[in-house]
Amino acid sequence: MIRVRGLRKDYPGGSRALDDVDLDIGPGEFVALIGPSGAGKSTLLRCLNGLVTPTAGRVEVGGVAVTGATPETLRRIRSGVGFVFQQFNLLRRLTVLENTVLGRLSHAARWRSLVGWFDAADLARARATLARVGLDGLDTRRIDTLSGGQQQRVAIARALVQAPAVILADEPMASLDPSLAHTVMELLRRINQEDGITVIASLHVLELAQAYGQRIIGLHRGRVVHDGAADSLDEAATTRIFGPGATGGAR
Amino acid sequence: MRHGGRWAGWAAIAAVFIWSAVATEVSAGRMVEGLPFMWDFLRRMVPPDPSVLGNAVRGAIQTIQIAIVGTVVAAVLALPVGFAAARNAAPRWLFYTSRLLLNAFRAVDTLVYALFFVAAVGLGPFPGVLAVIVYTATVLAKLYSEAIEAIEPGPVEAVRATGATSLQVLRWGVLPQLVPQFLSFTLYRFETNIRAAAVLGFVGAGGIGFYVQTYLRLLNYPAAASVLLVLVVLVMMVDFASSRLRARLV
Repeated sequence: MIRVRGLRKDYPGGSRALDDVDLDIGPGEFVALIGPSGAGKSTLLRCLNGLVTPTAGRVEVGGVAVTGATPETLRRIRSGVGFVFQQFNLLRRLTVLENTVLGRLSHAARWRSLVGWFDAADLARARATLARVGLDGLDTRRIDTLSGGQQQRVAIARALVQAPAVILADEPMASLDPSLAHTVMELLRRINQEDGITVIASLHVLELAQAYGQRIIGLHRGRVVHDGAADSLDEAATTRIFGPGATGGAR
Repeated sequence: MRHGGRWAGWAAIAAVFIWSAVATEVSAGRMVEGLPFMWDFLRRMVPPDPSVLGNAVRGAIQTIQIAIVGTVVAAVLALPVGFAAARNAAPRWLFYTSRLLLNAFRAVDTLVYALFFVAAVGLGPFPGVLAVIVYTATVLAKLYSEAIEAIEPGPVEAVRATGATSLQVLRWGVLPQLVPQFLSFTLYRFETNIRAAAVLGFVGAGGIGFYVQTYLRLLNYPAAASVLLVLVVLVMMVDFASSRLRARLV
């Protein structure tokens, strides 16, 4: 599903966010990406859908090269990859339904989508998805009237309505109340199990990674220092990822 | 050292103030001597002359019309210029050129432009409209460009991440963040333009100001009072309606 080879990303100013990363992620996996802040988790996720262009290396999604792709190809790849952001990144003055149906933009007739005329089928799909994430009845509410937990569910609905093969979630619960973290993670797990969508979620809370990830990949200073099943995360691995003295759950 | 610097700063401000006050012949004595004349001026305005209300209302309506046409045309012109003057939307050379031109044009007020356009196209409301357009377009372009620079990148990135085209990203990631603000700025400028257009008549550029000036010159204070009252009511009504509308936009 996802193939990463020799991935390197240097930011201007000389900081190296990713250093020679190799990864293979199969269809239907639920991967928890962990590491201290600044380890390169966000950069890695953004390289997977081309929001960030790597300095070197190769990324393939579904057998198609993301690195060096034409804008047209890149749009097709992104269309099949949902992205859930830490800050939700919704259009606050638009309604819940409008935000959700934006996930259909790559499928919509281009000129009609520019005047806000969406297909009935796309709208129906958006409504059904909203119901699925537990937001039925809120279609016409403006985003800025919702709670943080509701907003993140709209963001997940926007990704889900794309009918993607992969959902990338960048710290999806970091801006939320800790009690809401499980709601969001539970939702991602259901999507993973019921739809067979590959989920890669970066998390900074170790317990969540162990509770939800089938596979845990640990990053430290841009390098993969751990890769294994959820129960493989022993003390030695935790130390490699978070450094000595880390007890996990760093927040 | 820092303490001494602060005292020097205050002393400099005081010196500049005194220098300016002397140069502008500020005098409490003359102010007091003038009080009876001010009182006399106001007394002669009472009661206002209702027979000129027709003229006053006609002038007021024309003032609103000048402000409407001027603001709308200015808003349309300001749109592309606003993008050209936004650091994050335009190439460097265009950004700097636009900013420089905007600042230069904005240094001159509507009334001065009105003098210029009256000389160019003759008396009447049309030069007034042109003056409002030029000044308002530059002010709005500056405000628009600042709104464009303050845009949140997150939602834009999110729309791009769905596989949308550049135009779709602009329409759904950028515009929803800008349109309410643009409308709000434009309405605010409309309020200001009513006041600006009200004095355009002083230089022959149409509107209610023409009547204010004419009656004052004819020493017909009751008539001038009527016109001023209409002006006050007009400005208050527009301010009220416009601020209500703006509150709903944001």
